[in-house]
Amino acid sequence: DRVKMAAVTEEQFAALQILLKASSKDVVRQLCQECFSSSRGSSKLIDSTCSNLSVTSEEAAQLVSSLHNLTRHIVYRGLSSAEEILSLFPENFHQSLKNLLTKIILENVSVWRSEAQSSQISLPQLVDMDWRVDIKTSSDSIGRMAVPTCLLQLKIQEDAALCGDNPVISAVTVELNKETLDTMLDGLGRIRDQLSAVANK
Amino acid sequence: MLPKHAVQVIRHIWNEQGKSISMSEDARNMATVGQIIDIQWKLGMAVSSDSCRSLKYPYVTMTLKVAEPSGQIKNKSFEMTIPQFQDFFRHFKEMAAVLETV
Repeated sequence: DRVKMAAVTEEQFAALQILLKASSKDVVRQLCQECFSSSRGSSKLIDSTCSNLSVTSEEAAQLVSSLHNLTRHIVYRGLSSAEEILSLFPENFHQSLKNLLTKIILENVSVWRSEAQSSQISLPQLVDMDWRVDIKTSSDSIGRMAVPTCLLQLKIQEDAALCGDNPVISAVTVELNKETLDTMLDGLGRIRDQLSAVANK
Repeated sequence: MLPKHAVQVIRHIWNEQGKSISMSEDARNMATVGQIIDIQWKLGMAVSSDSCRSLKYPYVTMTLKVAEPSGQIKNKSFEMTIPQFQDFFRHFKEMAAVLETV
């Protein structure tokens, strides 16, 4: 999605000044957060912006899109200081609004960065797990026995980007014997060691 | 057809025990429980994405090879964030501890 990476245009900065119609700083703050998190062209957000700011739906759409692009661009480039953010704005941009937006963005940039990272493309994500240890007392092949076995249920969420607001979660239930469990523990221990090594680099 | 006395035994046991099996969710799960036969893992680091130009984002990818009751072998792949991985590890250590005592 090249639009995310593109710099914010003159037109978009002009549209941002529609924010001057906001009744309070909190309205601006709320809008910044919603515009960052919203997917492109969210009609629900455009409608609420229309009524909150008393602007036409065309103006609301331009504002939402510009604010989305500005916030996403800043997160993409990893800008984290007031100077860096202030320097993005054109010379003739409304001073107080520029300062307010910069302040709001700085407050949110870490949270937004985390949000972007947790919603980036990935394999299905493990979201939950449950387990139980049972003793198998018999089976179709063995009349009597006492074999401890683990039942493990993994809840896996399909790619969030593909499911939009309704993530699909599937449950996988598997059985593990002691040997498999030990192999798993061995592997997990090695991952932990590698993580420490990477963290220390 | 089963001999009559066998049917009587089955009916008797089913009347006594049947409810607990048919009502528990586990009964449904038991039929579809596969055995893990292999585990593969990878520790990866995302360095850039469409939303963040510069990243140092570690994550764990795991593939479980599962033998279904039908005999079919299925692969289940998934990712974990580092906090999820730490949780995952903790659960497995707990499982192992319980297995020791059983």
